[in-house]
Amino acid sequence: MADRVVLTIGTKKGVFVADAATPRRSFGLRGPFGPGIPVYSTLIDMRGAPRLYASSCNPFFGMKVLRSTNMGKSFEETKSAPAFPKEDGRALANIWSLEPGSGKKELWCGVEPASLFRSTDGGDSWEMVPGISNHEHARKWQPGNGGLCLHTIIRDGSRVHLGISTGGHYLSEDGGETFRASNQGVGAGFAPYPYPEFGQCVHKIVRHDDAPGRLYMQNHGGWADWTGPGGPRPDIGVLRSDDYGRSWRSIAKGLPSDFGFPIVVHPRDADTVYVMPLEPGTRSCPGAAPAVWRSENGGDSWSRLARGLPKKQTYFTVLRDAMDIDQLKAPALYFGTTTGQLWIGREGGEKWECLFDSLPPIHNVKVAVV
Amino acid sequence: MGPTPTITIHVPGPLRPYCAGASQISLAARTVRAALEDLERSQFDLYRNVCDETGRVRRHLNVFVNADNVRDLDGVETTLTPGDVVTILPAVSGG
Repeated sequence: MADRVVLTIGTKKGVFVADAATPRRSFGLRGPFGPGIPVYSTLIDMRGAPRLYASSCNPFFGMKVLRSTNMGKSFEETKSAPAFPKEDGRALANIWSLEPGSGKKELWCGVEPASLFRSTDGGDSWEMVPGISNHEHARKWQPGNGGLCLHTIIRDGSRVHLGISTGGHYLSEDGGETFRASNQGVGAGFAPYPYPEFGQCVHKIVRHDDAPGRLYMQNHGGWADWTGPGGPRPDIGVLRSDDYGRSWRSIAKGLPSDFGFPIVVHPRDADTVYVMPLEPGTRSCPGAAPAVWRSENGGDSWSRLARGLPKKQTYFTVLRDAMDIDQLKAPALYFGTTTGQLWIGREGGEKWECLFDSLPPIHNVKVAVV
Repeated sequence: MGPTPTITIHVPGPLRPYCAGASQISLAARTVRAALEDLERSQFDLYRNVCDETGRVRRHLNVFVNADNVRDLDGVETTLTPGDVVTILPAVSGG
């Protein structure tokens, strides 16, 4: 069977699945699955026979995990969803991330309030990961505007990187048994001291297999003009680490704003990274003219990619998990908007086209070639 | 103390898949809390949709005994009498 490009689209009203033959000329759309219920995270699990996962975050009846074994023709609930032990005192408010673990069936899941869960049976049963969920900092983290969420899980051998808003970046070097805050150089704008040990509002972190030790981070920027205690803190929003996340430096110079949510790295070039700068007030693109910005040298310089995107009067936001890139030879970027459009940026974002114009507000976009 | 009253729990449509399609469940309980504890034992899939991990009724759900919201009575300690109908509803309105 020919390769197909598959997209999972988590929205305010359920999950949609889009797919196309690899020329990507025309995408079909199925869904919504879990209709009417917000979906904040999806996963296209390519280990063995592909499986699709989606969190179904019902504000009335609680959290569920949906699973599809037929490429999104239908979804069913797994046998259980993450849940805190009764004596813990916390209650699950949202599911923010689903990531593959080791083997074929291990899954990791980041939730709100910020905690980590692990499944060894493809999502049918879950156990809390105490090293971060019961970390001495855990009861001191504060919720960001989106809630107190553990939204980023990156596994790299025995290292596990977590992004928590607002907790910061946490690093495990023993497979997830223990974690420590690892935020040297990661600024915070909403505290008098700009570089606390933890409590940063990290928005997203990515890495690339071909660049050991390197990570890129979209942090909560937008504090260049701050005149209060601690002074201005320009360029804290887009960062890079070259030592496995132990320390970070700004790569925001050249961007029109260091505030934003998603950050994406090219599938075959670790030096090529994409962000979508937003104005911190409106959380829309500067000048109300949407654009993705690309660096091809690891963040030393940036160029604007906007061909085909609206040129004015556009106020959508692209959320932290709503941008992704496929793995084809000339990869395409995809982003979904809070106003329900799904855009494709062909040729690495050189040429943009709206695939779907009137979906529900989009929280999450993932893509894979299957 | 008399016999434990038998009451009826009315299950809203979205939750019926979690109790084999039943629209009503009859059980014996002296209070709303006891009724929920019975569900935890006998209908756990349904229970987890109604109460969170801490045992509290989920924040956006309302529980009624007959026509009264337990919020206006004694909460989950509201006592039940034979024939009472306990209704679970999402706290949602139109407009």
